[in-house]
Amino acid sequence: MRVAYYSPLPPSPSGIAAYSALLLPALRRHVDVVVARPGRLRRAPKADISLYHVGNDPEAHGWIVASLRRRPGVVVLHELAIHHLVAGITLARGDAAGYLDAMERCHGLVGRLLAYAVLDNRIPPLWETRPHDFPLAGEVLRYATGVVVHSRYAEEGARQAGYDGPIWHVPHPAWPDLEEEPASVDGSPLIGCFGHLNEAKRLPQLYAAFKRVRARWPKARLLVVGRASPGAADPPPPPGVAREGYVEEGRLWSLMAACDVVVSLRAPTMGETSGTVMRALSLGKPLVVSDVGWFSELPDEVAVKVPVDEHEVEALALTLDQLAADGRRREAMAAAARRLAETEHDLERVAQLYAAALEEAAGGRLVREAVASELAQAAAEIGLRPHDPETRELGERAREVGLGG
Amino acid sequence: MRIAVLLPQVPFARGGAEIFAETLVTQLRAQGHEADLVTIPFKWYPGERVLTQALLWRLADLTEADGRPIELVVATKFPSYCVRHPRKVVWLLHQFRQAYELDRTPLGQFSESARDRALRRQVQRLDRTCLSEARRLFATSRNVAARLERSTGLQAEVMPHPPQPLDYRCEEFGDFVLSVGRLDRAKRVDLLLEALAAAPELRAVVCGEGPDRKRLEELARRRGLGGRVAFPGRVGEEELASLYARCLAVYYAPFDEDFGMVPYEAFLSGKPVVTTQDAGGPLEVVAHRRTGLVCEPRPEALARACAWLREHVEEARALGQAGQKIAQGLTWERAIERLLES
Repeated sequence: MRVAYYSPLPPSPSGIAAYSALLLPALRRHVDVVVARPGRLRRAPKADISLYHVGNDPEAHGWIVASLRRRPGVVVLHELAIHHLVAGITLARGDAAGYLDAMERCHGLVGRLLAYAVLDNRIPPLWETRPHDFPLAGEVLRYATGVVVHSRYAEEGARQAGYDGPIWHVPHPAWPDLEEEPASVDGSPLIGCFGHLNEAKRLPQLYAAFKRVRARWPKARLLVVGRASPGAADPPPPPGVAREGYVEEGRLWSLMAACDVVVSLRAPTMGETSGTVMRALSLGKPLVVSDVGWFSELPDEVAVKVPVDEHEVEALALTLDQLAADGRRREAMAAAARRLAETEHDLERVAQLYAAALEEAAGGRLVREAVASELAQAAAEIGLRPHDPETRELGERAREVGLGG
Repeated sequence: MRIAVLLPQVPFARGGAEIFAETLVTQLRAQGHEADLVTIPFKWYPGERVLTQALLWRLADLTEADGRPIELVVATKFPSYCVRHPRKVVWLLHQFRQAYELDRTPLGQFSESARDRALRRQVQRLDRTCLSEARRLFATSRNVAARLERSTGLQAEVMPHPPQPLDYRCEEFGDFVLSVGRLDRAKRVDLLLEALAAAPELRAVVCGEGPDRKRLEELARRRGLGGRVAFPGRVGEEELASLYARCLAVYYAPFDEDFGMVPYEAFLSGKPVVTTQDAGGPLEVVAHRRTGLVCEPRPEALARACAWLREHVEEARALGQAGQKIAQGLTWERAIERLLES
């Protein structure tokens, strides 16, 4: 069975590119994969099923959504709120009508009116202010023959968006067999924050909390690594903060390996998983995260979850202070993180789950139809009609084991 | 208690599963229960037939019979555990192995087509649904339990089943190696024949019937084994007990076998078992130089192992006696007690 695989790939700096670079070799051990390349004139690869990785970056994912519209297939919904993406492939390309239609399709007449208000600059762009209220996931879900999600949060969101097709829950894979040499960075404790820095990463709150931590732990250091997203605030770092922009893969790993604790705050969430969190789990690093979306689903043993409310800074400072003081707790969290990475997020397990989902998506309908046809024929031969109680029971029993229509 | 033992029936085929299920019914009756064997024919090909045949079990109403309740059902192997019953216990001999570890091997069934791949996944889904309904899950070996956990995430308690009651005894350590079992490729009797070809002093008796018989007889002819190998077919209980009693050792080395009663039967006859490192379930009781010999799955290695036993009869006897102690610990009384705790 052959799978056409649509995803950004390195050297694209997208987190989904790194995800695919990790997943592809493992997936190839289970199914025949042909990687699709961008290009309007490029022919779609011949395959039994197509797999589309959808994230919010219009540059990285616009061509993937265009391909999905031409040939429906399985969508990996890396983010539930894809308002950024939809705006990027409509409005940003001069297609205002496309944006209006998308808003109306997903959110009715109110959606269309709000979209008009955005176009007239009467309200700020919804993709910046309220993407979680107007996620627009329906814009890709309506072409999906199946959906892969990484969290229950995303699964519930897809159902709320009206998607009634098959959904497979496949965890984000961890990176196996890491033996990273920690970079030489001072700091006791050394706290890390990694990834694209946008408003949702809550840098001001993190800086405010770190100031309090440093008051008690003068040798503490906060390492902030990643490119600031265009337009996102990149506040001046307080004392004790080491700031690095985009770094190459190797440097990223060694910097993270040097950290005592990794902080990954997020609010609002787009329903995404975090590559940074998965890297930290893979390295066995204690985590501090926001108590939202997928992050809330992390086991308590591996992550301290900080509520996003008026006490956020205080709670974050207290958490970091406690972790700085409690080496045993950090060790226990590190061990739990490694265990979680090696079990739930094991790369081979994830590849197997993908293979199962793709195989079911590609041939499942044919199988169900063949079974239904044989059952219907047998029923008809003994005089049962479609609405007879016996026929209904036959259908019920088949549905119980996943063979119903 | 009124108990139904469930066994899919492959018409005209008979092997360990049939003996196990029939013996279980007999033993339940011996302990005062009203037990019966319930079978439905099973054909697993072509295509989706494996699923429609499984659905037959799903449709079977075994909550009562003739107006009286059936209080417990004991399912044994795919697809009998698809049955619906408020008190379903599974004593798992094996799943539909073609959908699991035999996939993409010469013993597999599903092609690389999208439809076949999905069909295989549907079998797996059926297993997850129906096995998770069981009140209690037992597996006949650690190998079967491990496969189950790998494939479905379900955990089973390991409970080997005792062998069929025969007049087990040890009369002598004769000059032949005995092979017992259904003659199909997975049982790997050809390895024994190739070993015979490599060791002219060895003899073998191959009991059993099956689709591989012609090929094996042809192989024996081509290797010039002549009178050194006999294929008596399926033998009666008395003859089987007599063969066990007189053989030098018992060969049992299917590839990644589920469990296999044969080693236990050999042990009860005081005979050592010769198996291979990749035999799966049998390795749980056949320990090298403790209860038998475990060799590489190559004819020369097997020939050497058999020859060693022939030259060291006292050691063969000691290995068989060590196995006997293990086999005697397995009793139907204890197994049924656990089964009925469910």
